Amino acid sequence: MDVKTVRDVAKFAHIALTDEEAERYCKDLGDILSYFELLNEAPECGERGVNPILVEDIVRDDVPKVEFDADELLRDMDTYDRYVRGPRLS
Amino acid sequence: MSMDSVMKDLKAINAKYQMFHTMSDDISAGDAKFLFSAKDNLTSKDMETCAGSRILEGYHPVFDATCISKLREAGGKLVGKTNMDEFGFGTFSTNSGFEVPRNPYDLNRACGGSSGGSACAASVIEDHMSLGVSTGGSICCPASFCGVYGIAPTYGRVSRYGLIDYGNSLDKIGVISQKATDLKKYMEMIAGKDEKDPTSMVQPDFKTAYRKMRSVAIPKEGIEGLSKEVEAVFKDAVEQLKSMGVDVDYVDMPSLKYAMPAYYVLATSEASTNLARYVGMRYGHQEGDHSLKFDDYFTEVRSKYFGDEAKRRILLGTYARMAGFGGRHYAKAREVRQVVINDYKRVLETHDAVLAPTMPFTAPRFDDISKMSALESYKADYLTVPANIAGTPHLSVPCGYDSNGMPVGMQFVADHWNEDVLFSVAEDWEKQFDLRRPEMSI
Repeated sequence: MDVKTVRDVAKFAHIALTDEEAERYCKDLGDILSYFELLNEAPECGERGVNPILVEDIVRDDVPKVEFDADELLRDMDTYDRYVRGPRLS
Repeated sequence: MSMDSVMKDLKAINAKYQMFHTMSDDISAGDAKFLFSAKDNLTSKDMETCAGSRILEGYHPVFDATCISKLREAGGKLVGKTNMDEFGFGTFSTNSGFEVPRNPYDLNRACGGSSGGSACAASVIEDHMSLGVSTGGSICCPASFCGVYGIAPTYGRVSRYGLIDYGNSLDKIGVISQKATDLKKYMEMIAGKDEKDPTSMVQPDFKTAYRKMRSVAIPKEGIEGLSKEVEAVFKDAVEQLKSMGVDVDYVDMPSLKYAMPAYYVLATSEASTNLARYVGMRYGHQEGDHSLKFDDYFTEVRSKYFGDEAKRRILLGTYARMAGFGGRHYAKAREVRQVVINDYKRVLETHDAVLAPTMPFTAPRFDDISKMSALESYKADYLTVPANIAGTPHLSVPCGYDSNGMPVGMQFVADHWNEDVLFSVAEDWEKQFDLRRPEMSI
């Protein structure tokens, strides 16, 4: 792990780092990733579940309904004319 | 302590222990049948929900989490939302964007994490049940440090609808209380299928009939690295279990040492994707500079309001999912999860539960926690992580006290969907265990 990699990952994750943070996380991540190397010697079993239990795809009936009032949902949001305000796209 | 007097004293209790981030303003219990609190990562319609994170300040959900709505329907009154590590990222509840709960037995020590405020409330307030959430040990760890009972049920037993996700394949909602008998009583209310959470839909019936625990297996890997005092208290507790008619065997579970790195790969990978939604729009803080381009706006808000540990786990999880590294470790971590499950299944074919101390030490002092590195703090979870990665139900009971009077806990782990045997052993244990309530003065 090096500071440049930490900065690249942070940019991807939308996190701005000060120089002090970049140095600190670089050391922490280096220590933690070294510890992860223990996985290399772990036994294998050929199975890779996504969940710890078996999960079946169960879908509910497609019944149209209004679950939440739109104005209530927008109550805490920064809006104008019932649109959510956001930053510029370009 | 009547429910009305609890309501009247709530603010004074909180001033001393800081278990609640948000509290009810009511000074009477009204016609409530019982009072409860909930970890602040469970959405509640009438109380702000922040999950311990400043990025969610001002978020008022428009719906109750399924577990909260079920308790309200049963006559429960939600009295407060409890302090926690930000999004559940921690072992001591010190990684909070807000208040840090204080241990009821020594205010200079931590409550454990990440459901620290919940365990604190359950320990301090009489006849109080608190909802906790466990991803890697966040119910049993604080239950152990605060001298109370806590259960994290099988993954999928309680609907996660309304839970602010940390790691979707790991999160479990459970119950913390002073009384072992409360665990079954309240779990029965919140368990069950919910079409809003597909992972809850495959569960078999929730069994509540008494089923005596006849045998436990103690993994050699679960009694390594303990403090001398925890080791001694646990040894006495095992003798006590034997006298209750429980057979005790010592076994090898070699997979347990790989559970920790696998857990942190899976948990941070899932967390880093879950937290991508917090960008200063729709929830919480939204006062960023809208003249910025969206990438810069998101970065500004996230950098300002995420705490130190949240940033660390986002970076770790983002890196773990990246091409190259991810191919090596993420796939292997998923396989290790299955190896750990297989190891539990093998041992539980011939035993009712796997037993070990819940935590390797008693609640540490805040000044000692501040000196721990991130990795040292992660490694403190080595006893609670295996059952969490396996999704197996686990229950912590208070089993003694160290020379400073701090509680020690031990944790039983049963096979998937076998919560009944855990309730039974906890209730049997409670009948003979001399629980020392913390001295409380407000």
